[in-house]
Amino acid sequence: MKNIFIGCKIFIFIIIIIFSGCEMFEPHPYSGKIDGELHINAKNIELIENRCISNKQIKFAVISDSQGWYNQLEDFVEHLNGRSDLDFVLHLGDLTDYGATSEFILQRNILQKLKVPYVSVIGNHDCIGNGEDIFLEIFGQLDYSFTAGDIQFVMLNTNALEFDNSKNVPNFLFIEKLLAINNLENKRTIVAMHAPPRSEQLMDNLSKVFHDYIKRFPNLMFCLNGHGHHFTERDIFNDGIIYYECTCINKRGYYLFTVTPDGYEKEIIEF
Amino acid sequence: MRKRLLNFNIVAILLMFLTPNTLATERNKCNTALKLIPSYAKIQYGGGMGLLSFGTGWAYGKHNQGETDMFFGFIPKYSTYKAKATFTLKQNYIPWSIQLAKRFSVEPFSVGAYLNVLFDNEFWLRQPSKYEAGYYHLPSKMRFHLFCGQRITFNAGKGQNVSSNAISLFYELSTCDILLICRLGNSYLRPKDYLRLSFGLKYQFL
Repeated sequence: MKNIFIGCKIFIFIIIIIFSGCEMFEPHPYSGKIDGELHINAKNIELIENRCISNKQIKFAVISDSQGWYNQLEDFVEHLNGRSDLDFVLHLGDLTDYGATSEFILQRNILQKLKVPYVSVIGNHDCIGNGEDIFLEIFGQLDYSFTAGDIQFVMLNTNALEFDNSKNVPNFLFIEKLLAINNLENKRTIVAMHAPPRSEQLMDNLSKVFHDYIKRFPNLMFCLNGHGHHFTERDIFNDGIIYYECTCINKRGYYLFTVTPDGYEKEIIEF
Repeated sequence: MRKRLLNFNIVAILLMFLTPNTLATERNKCNTALKLIPSYAKIQYGGGMGLLSFGTGWAYGKHNQGETDMFFGFIPKYSTYKAKATFTLKQNYIPWSIQLAKRFSVEPFSVGAYLNVLFDNEFWLRQPSKYEAGYYHLPSKMRFHLFCGQRITFNAGKGQNVSSNAISLFYELSTCDILLICRLGNSYLRPKDYLRLSFGLKYQFL
């Protein structure tokens, strides 16, 4: 009788575990089973555009390459939530190390704690396996654009090496379409991407064409990229267009850009 | 060699006419060919090897402490471009079995490891040559998992074949190489972030 009683207790313990840990059921690390917030970029773009619609000055933070560094990303979110002067945050890709569904979810769950809206571009690590599908579902399109004040932000997938010519990477058709449909004359442009031109992701012959394409945007102010894990400031094509590379979150640094009608200021902040 | 194969075929045909109990008796006589016949079937839900996985395997050791399983698993499409199949090779070690009642026993601790392979050409085992050496660290096609768990067993076997005709219900807590690496560098992660739960049924027929 006593033994049966112990047996029942063990069974109840099992049942409690099973029903208390539903979110711990994962068919596979690459399953694509996603709970929680989806299509984040589209939702946050709406917030950013409404927030900055009549702003003369916009202020935004830039982070990149947060793969596998959850402690540091959490610290960044806590640090940034202590500021009240920011309009939004740009994440320049590589949220994951291996493109696994659970990595995307863990990163999203931390970034969702930000008090200001954020958007993200896809990094080369995010493309591993079926990572592209997960990015599409959680964040949204790989190439997109939004407006903050009078600034047009063009966010592009530049991880050409990952796609083996199977998709338009970089997406010149998207750039042409954007130039054709938007009335950009009174706007200034900032282009953001993960891998910069002349990296192993974007080969030399493509890089020059890519740069020529983005120069068609009116009043191109500068470009932003991640991938290199360092803060660098490079005039890659010697034509005055600067590519600012943001360091990885592990190095506990981010860019803070303040764009005014007269120009812009850039600060490197450590947290 | 041909003669041995023929013998094996005859044994296999004979097996079709034998009941589980007589099979178990024959198997216990240490016939090598019969030892190759799997002794149980399993169904597992979750655990990183598929939503549902169906497997079979071999139990060995004086008290069946060792088990080697092979599973085929199925992953639905979810948010990805297609559903996937997986194959898993799993090694279990169940050191203790405690008799609770006449036909009930518990295995309070099981531990082991498994390798899982995804059948999908988008995933690679060896980094494609387009990348420089060491560009990515782990193969996307294969995952390594560690687990521990518990079992409860109802035994309907009779006579000397006490282990045959037994049904076990088990659960496991597991983690895979990706999640383990995440946890090692990040105290931020809670157990629900890096541990995965699965449960299953085992039917021992031999």
